[in-house]
Amino acid sequence: MENLDAARLQMAFTLAFHIIFACIGMVMPFFMVVSHYKWLKTRNQIYLTLTKSWQKGVAIFFVTGAVSGTALSFELGLLWPEFMKHAGPIIGMPFSLEGAAFFVEAIALGFYLYGWNKLNERFHWITGIIIGISGVASGILVVSANGWMNAPSGFDYINGEFLNIDPVKAFLNPAWFSQALHMVLAAFTATGFAVGGIHAYQIYKNRNVELHKKAFRIAVTFGAIAALLQPISGDISAKDIAQRQPVKLAAMEAHYNTEKGAPLYIGGIVNEETQEVKYKIAIPKALSFLSFGDFDAEVKGLNDFPKDTHPPVAITHYAFQTMVGLGTLLVIASLIFFISYKRKKWTAKNKYWLLFIIMAPLGFFALEAGWVVTEVGRQPWIIYNIMKTKDAVTPMPGMVYSFYMYVILYTILAVVVTWLMQRQIKVLNKTPIES
Amino acid sequence: MIYVVLFFLAFSLFLYVLLGGADFGAGIVELFSSKENQQITKKTIYRVMGPIWEANHIWIIIVMVILWVAFPVYFNIIMISLHIPLTLILIGITLRGVSFIFRHYDAVIDESQKIYNGLFRFSSVFTPLLLGMTFGGIISGSIIPPEAIHQYGFGEVYIDSWLNSFSFLTGIFFSALCAFLSATLLIGEADEAHEKIYRRKSAIATIVVVLSGSILILYGYVNNYVFIKDFIQNPFSVSLIGASALTLIPLWIHIKKGHKILSRFYAGLQVVMIIAAAMIAHFPYVLITKQGELSLLEGIAPDSVIRVLGISLIVGGLVILPGLFHLLKSFKMIKVLES
Ligand code: HDD
Ligand code: HEM
Ligand code: HEM
Repeated sequence: MENLDAARLQMAFTLAFHIIFACIGMVMPFFMVVSHYKWLKTRNQIYLTLTKSWQKGVAIFFVTGAVSGTALSFELGLLWPEFMKHAGPIIGMPFSLEGAAFFVEAIALGFYLYGWNKLNERFHWITGIIIGISGVASGILVVSANGWMNAPSGFDYINGEFLNIDPVKAFLNPAWFSQALHMVLAAFTATGFAVGGIHAYQIYKNRNVELHKKAFRIAVTFGAIAALLQPISGDISAKDIAQRQPVKLAAMEAHYNTEKGAPLYIGGIVNEETQEVKYKIAIPKALSFLSFGDFDAEVKGLNDFPKDTHPPVAITHYAFQTMVGLGTLLVIASLIFFISYKRKKWTAKNKYWLLFIIMAPLGFFALEAGWVVTEVGRQPWIIYNIMKTKDAVTPMPGMVYSFYMYVILYTILAVVVTWLMQRQIKVLNKTPIES
Repeated sequence: MIYVVLFFLAFSLFLYVLLGGADFGAGIVELFSSKENQQITKKTIYRVMGPIWEANHIWIIIVMVILWVAFPVYFNIIMISLHIPLTLILIGITLRGVSFIFRHYDAVIDESQKIYNGLFRFSSVFTPLLLGMTFGGIISGSIIPPEAIHQYGFGEVYIDSWLNSFSFLTGIFFSALCAFLSATLLIGEADEAHEKIYRRKSAIATIVVVLSGSILILYGYVNNYVFIKDFIQNPFSVSLIGASALTLIPLWIHIKKGHKILSRFYAGLQVVMIIAAAMIAHFPYVLITKQGELSLLEGIAPDSVIRVLGISLIVGGLVILPGLFHLLKSFKMIKVLES
């Protein structure tokens, strides 16, 4: 494996790992405070038990998110020293604000975890809300840094130098809004369905049903609302890409030739050599409409761009198809969830719970696929149209070993965290609930 | 504005060394405790460190962010030539973080605690040792600047820069500092029966600090290390070290009298003075490479960036510090109420 490939794989792997913990750390606090609120209101012991068990989850995920995030902040420099040398000062603002947001989050978490029966009840509950808000704020801030890589702005690039740097403008780059909105919704969708799925499994197994039903309802309500909004936000992203990164759009759609009234491909096997997409379903003119809001608009194909600026087409296309496909399934599941509010009969059926068990990982699959679209679709650029990834990589040889090491370390961590969560749930099911 | 940025850089570094250091030290003290004391130490660490633990290692992240935003040239060199020890530090931080949280939040207490404890203690020694070695590498004069690395072999560029006797001694010295901080902190937290144990540990740690510090200076002097030569000739550094040594007297008095806050203050002050002495000795030429010294103030980010960073840091500081202070205070109050 080449050094550059190993570094890219390592970056992708550690980010993909971090994002799971970051999302859960970002969204779980909201579930926790809703349950906490219900406890304060109803004084139903079940909600207290649930809040306390979710709080343990938040603590464990916060730490795993924090350590994997610490690793990332080093890795940006360790793997891409040339990128950071130039980009660091420009995108420093979101990162330094992110530091502040993390801090607020950590302080609020300190208050929340150790504040039971010690702090004023209302204040204690509010510290829980602060955990959630600052978590989301930090997520938005990092994504803005990523948005800058896709839509570099806030500087003049003259003779290979970055001059007249304006950090505020770089922070509010053209991509930040569409990406941040889509990402926050994705975090809620993915975490909502994942947590909901775990509780659905417990209900399916008939364990402590009363508690798990309450938990399920809180989590999936968040997830389902976000999932219904996701296609709208995705459409905003797509229209944005069509303007800013037409090569990425072409790769997402495996669209080689420039066409007016371009068709949208669903599925299909891409052959990058012959530039053919086989076994696809083509919906006439749909791509032009989705990208530009006009059935006859011209959509640029990959062949209109120099070959050395093409991203890997097949990966980007499959990832995009996966995201949208899973997104559609999640929309259907969300509709079923809301209808079941009215049709209580459905929830008596085991099939209903089975559905949500199956849905559990899908949000995260969609989320990872979405990042692959964004990041692989940006290749070969690390800073779009400015700096190539291969020019940014560390000169240190032997990155493969570093990559393997991270794979082994994080795999072990993931296994241990899963095992711990399972123990947590086992204990939770054994706790007698007195009302 | 660059001074605001430098202030926050130093401030975060000091806090990391103090809070993070005491945290690492706690694991070292635990490692060198007898079986039964280990349990007490573990509980005490959790009680003292628990509420601020999550916030502790964010200081290192702030250091990193300030470095890459404001001092990109330095950051670039450090990231390239010290890739390996920094990766090892990351592994250490990761293992330590997860083992700390696992051992306190695992729903079932069983044999697996042994693994968590083992990992926790191991990474508590390993991480500060490598942190010290990394700093040793920066000042040892064996780093090869990026534009020259193609003239050297892999070993010279990526290994010799940090794996040498000088940095190893720096690593030992830093670990001893951590253990010293932590033992002194624990004295005030333990009940009477155990107080004696931590007093002894604090004394041992002091001896190790002084010994390893002297060996480091002697070794550097004999082998003509630029940093050490300048260090012992810099009046500020020498007086800071002298002051730090003198502070041992009030520290011992306050420990004897059982003044919790004051003894912590003096222990912290001592460490701050030692680190400050090291920083000042060569400021602004902190990084010493094989091909000469490099000023921290050279190649800094443009003014517009420094300005925004400075403002962000001030605003962030205004939000965070009162919060942190309040956190410490409320839990201190709670402890008072409980006892
Ligand atoms: C639960 C996860 C999830 C779901 C259901 C969807 N997405 Fe998505 N998508 C993401 C999670 C995600 C993401 C992981 O969050 C990305 C990666 C970067 C980003 O900003 O969001 C993303 C990126 C992303 C991009 C690229 C943005 C860029 O490169 O700047 C587009 C065009 C879409 N999405 C479009 C859609 C559409 C049309 C969907 C219709 C259902 C959809 N997404 C569902
Ligand atoms: C957490 C969600 C994210 C995931 C899953 C993700 C995924 C990926 C993937 C798959 C790659 C490899 C692309 C390739 O080389 O083909 C990559 C590269 C990279 N990503 Fe991301 N990314 C995420 C967020 C971010 C953010 C927020 C930033 C920056 C602030 C970022 C910065 C980078 C950099 C610097 C590279 C390496 C250079 C490159 O390959 O272009 N990523 N990421
Ligand atoms: C889309 C991508 C990302 C999102 C949404 C995200 C979000 C988060 C969140 C919410 C946390 C808090 C941990 C928790 O509550 O569990 C976290 C931790 C962290 N993240 Fe990320 N992150 C992303 C990518 C990155 C990248 C690329 C970096 C590196 C530069 C990074 C650096 C950090 C750091 C340093 C922490 C630890 C801070 C602490 O100690 O609390 N993150 N991240």
